[in-house]
Amino acid sequence: MIDLKDVSYSYEGINALNNINLHIEKGEAVALMGANGTGKSTLLKLMNGLLSPDQGVYRFDQEEITPKKLKNTKFSKAFHQKIGFVFQNSDTQLFCADVYDEIAFGPRQMGMNEDDVEKRVNDCLDLLGIQNFKHRQPYHLSGGEKRKVAIACVLALNPEVLVLDEPMNGLDPRTQRWLVNFLNTLNRSGKTLIISTHNLDLVQELSKRAILFDENHSIAADLPSENLFQEIDLLKKINLVDENYQHY
Amino acid sequence: MNHKENQRNLPDWLLKDENYIPQSDKDQFIGKSILSILRILSKIKSQSEYKTDKFHVNAALKVAFTFLLVILLSLSTSYTFIFVVDVYLLVVLSFMDGKEIIKILSVSLAMAFFTFIILFPYILLGNTYTSMIITLKVLSTLIAVNILSHSTRWNTITGALRRFYVPNIFILVLDITIKYISMLGDFSLNMLYSLKLRSVGKNNSKYGSIAGIAGTMFMKSKEMAEEMYAAMECRGFTGEYTVRSKWKLTIADFIYMLLTIGMIAAFILWGRI
Amino acid sequence: MHIPDNYLSPSTCIVMGAAMVPVWAIAVHKVKKEVTRSKIPMIGIGAAFSFLMMMFNVPLPGGTTGHAVGGTLLAILLGPYAACIAITVALLIQALLFGDGGILSFGANCFNMAFIIPFLGYFIYKFIKDRTKSEKGEYVGIIVGSYVGINMAALVAAIEFGVQPLLFTNSQGQPLYSPYPLSISIPAMMIPHLLVAGVVEVLFTTAIYTFIKKVSPGTIFEGAKQKIHTIYGLIVALICLTPLGLLATGTAWGEWGADEIKDVVHGGKQLGYTPAGMKNGFSFNAIMPDYSVKGLPEIAGYILSAIAGVAIMVIIFKIISSFSKTKPKDISNES
Ligand SMILES: Nc1ncnc2c1ncn2[C@@H]1O[C@H](COP(=O)(O)OP(=O)(O)OP(=O)(O)O)[C@@H](O)[C@H]1O
Ligand SMILES: [Mg+2]
Repeated sequence: MIDLKDVSYSYEGINALNNINLHIEKGEAVALMGANGTGKSTLLKLMNGLLSPDQGVYRFDQEEITPKKLKNTKFSKAFHQKIGFVFQNSDTQLFCADVYDEIAFGPRQMGMNEDDVEKRVNDCLDLLGIQNFKHRQPYHLSGGEKRKVAIACVLALNPEVLVLDEPMNGLDPRTQRWLVNFLNTLNRSGKTLIISTHNLDLVQELSKRAILFDENHSIAADLPSENLFQEIDLLKKINLVDENYQHY
Repeated sequence: MNHKENQRNLPDWLLKDENYIPQSDKDQFIGKSILSILRILSKIKSQSEYKTDKFHVNAALKVAFTFLLVILLSLSTSYTFIFVVDVYLLVVLSFMDGKEIIKILSVSLAMAFFTFIILFPYILLGNTYTSMIITLKVLSTLIAVNILSHSTRWNTITGALRRFYVPNIFILVLDITIKYISMLGDFSLNMLYSLKLRSVGKNNSKYGSIAGIAGTMFMKSKEMAEEMYAAMECRGFTGEYTVRSKWKLTIADFIYMLLTIGMIAAFILWGRI
Repeated sequence: MHIPDNYLSPSTCIVMGAAMVPVWAIAVHKVKKEVTRSKIPMIGIGAAFSFLMMMFNVPLPGGTTGHAVGGTLLAILLGPYAACIAITVALLIQALLFGDGGILSFGANCFNMAFIIPFLGYFIYKFIKDRTKSEKGEYVGIIVGSYVGINMAALVAAIEFGVQPLLFTNSQGQPLYSPYPLSISIPAMMIPHLLVAGVVEVLFTTAIYTFIKKVSPGTIFEGAKQKIHTIYGLIVALICLTPLGLLATGTAWGEWGADEIKDVVHGGKQLGYTPAGMKNGFSFNAIMPDYSVKGLPEIAGYILSAIAGVAIMVIIFKIISSFSKTKPKDISNES
């Protein structure tokens, strides 16, 4: 599904990704972990075609994704429908006047008739348990509520791959747990999930596979997430946890 | 909230692949807006890196000299003076970094070319002098101003304004503005990205989308302004703002002043023949 | 609508800048009085907002895009005085730090975009809104206000351009700045503004206003009603006075210029109608035919040409080497 070969990226001279090789199968759930600034968000943006690699190749569904292809409107729209992205900061993801319109934005663009749109929006509202602020203004929602709306918007496009940048951030413990369960359900139903997270406690439940970034912006390890805590030294080496960290 | 039940029964549409074939839509405005904001942001970001000012000339002098140059160029009526200025600008440019040279020249040449196009009908009427001299002056002025903005850290430029008795409070506003252009710029850039990612088909209310982004940016900026004021008050801000700047003249500064005098002399000699 | 340097004569720029001084003074005074909380940050952040708004590309019929200025919108949102200051700061940053829009013409640009657009646009909006008292009236006010605002600014800019050839010529009567007379500059500026830019401005302004009103009506500026007369007076006075001022200083300046030029010509040097090389086209040679530049001793001209040559070689070399260093990095934005 997703295939990166020797991918590097830098922002105007600031290195953010270094020689990344990564292959993700359809239906997998993968967690990206790493200290702040190691390039997780950059990699996710790259997967969504917002950035293109300086070096290396990015393939989605066997097809190489290049700036040139993305300039083709039809190709780019089809690609963006297949891969959905929930931003690290949900504040920036919402720009409609109410939650209903926000979620209906994608389906309407896909040319569905208004009845189908309504069904889809209502399904999404139900799935995320946000029926009660259907007609609120996204701008005035709380951080966690915004996150749910952002997820609903992306879900409404029914993408095959769902990319979430630190989705647990700022959620209360109960909602975090709920989100993990919800993502698991999506994964079981066949969606490919790529999630960046700092949450060591939930990562094992979230995904079977963990990718660790080191501070040189490259992949330090790619291991089953159940083995994560046998590798405390590795976690220390990549500065994800401090010297005195212990896991119980 | 009934989270548990919802999870078990996902709706049918979510379980099927979408098999969606997009219609085409003319929405270049998203891409173009992204590009213009990226350009602004990258320019501001490149400011925060260390500026290698090879000449170590006092920023206030540079600002003053650039202004003087702009005024003299504008007053001048002769090719000779413009030529002298251009030689000077070329020499300064040749000391700069290749990438910066490209940026400065591409911006300046584009605008000069635009000017030339505007004035082209006038050339056809037989008056080459006016069209050429204006085009050359536009080009020289832009190169001069862009050299200033590329070779000097902006906070030293705004700080230099204080030397010309611009009130501190005004400089504070300028500094805040630059900082928030980059913060709000980042914010709206991400909103444009999000709009782009979710624009998977035909958008029937493009103005609605652009309004959502600009409107959200406005509300965000109001909110930020209030927060910032509160934060400033908490830190004991009373409306006084001191701009720190060293005022020590080096040999480079004196050479620079000589250059200034030289330019004025050149103007007096050849500027208006 | 950003006028670069050298399109307008320095004296025009001075007049326009001088006309802005009282406007700025009053605006600062009013903003201090009206906005009790968060004055300074609000202006700075308002300026940042205004700056970024000018970066937005707006869709036009047929799939192309254009820019809006957003001056009337800002006046409706922040009040005209705060809008005036915010746009001024945004224009200053554009001119000084981004090299976009002139430094000398800063005053003129402010007059057009930070004065005419927000004040005229706002007061038309307010005038219509206060007299109709319905939502429809409000929107009519926004539409008329933003349309008239930007078109009036374009008209003033066209007049600024158009008076240049009347006032500022060299000794041979050749214009030194924008050479087109009013009969050309006005239609050239007005047709695209009336047909396209004005429409963009209206659509942009109403769409954003509608959005903000729906989402956060509390953030919109509530202006008092009675102030209209004084400000109208100010606008009318300035609009009337400016061309007069232009004419007055213009002639004075022109005469001074002519005298001085006469002196120079008496001094033995003279300038042909067109420098010799010019008729052959506009290559670099044209500026320094045979390495000799008019008015310069031959040897100095030669040395300067040599310096320029070396500098150009260095620049070309640096550009080429920096091209080979940059990787093909393209962000996939053109959708
Ligand atoms: N727009 C940008 N311009 C310049 N540098 C950037 C930009 N965005 C990110 N960077 C830099 O790129 C590197 C990687 O950033 P990225 O946002 O991908 O990190 P991250 O792993 O997501 O961190 P976090 O856990 O804090 O979200 C960092 O060093 C950062 O400073
Ligand atoms: Mg991140």
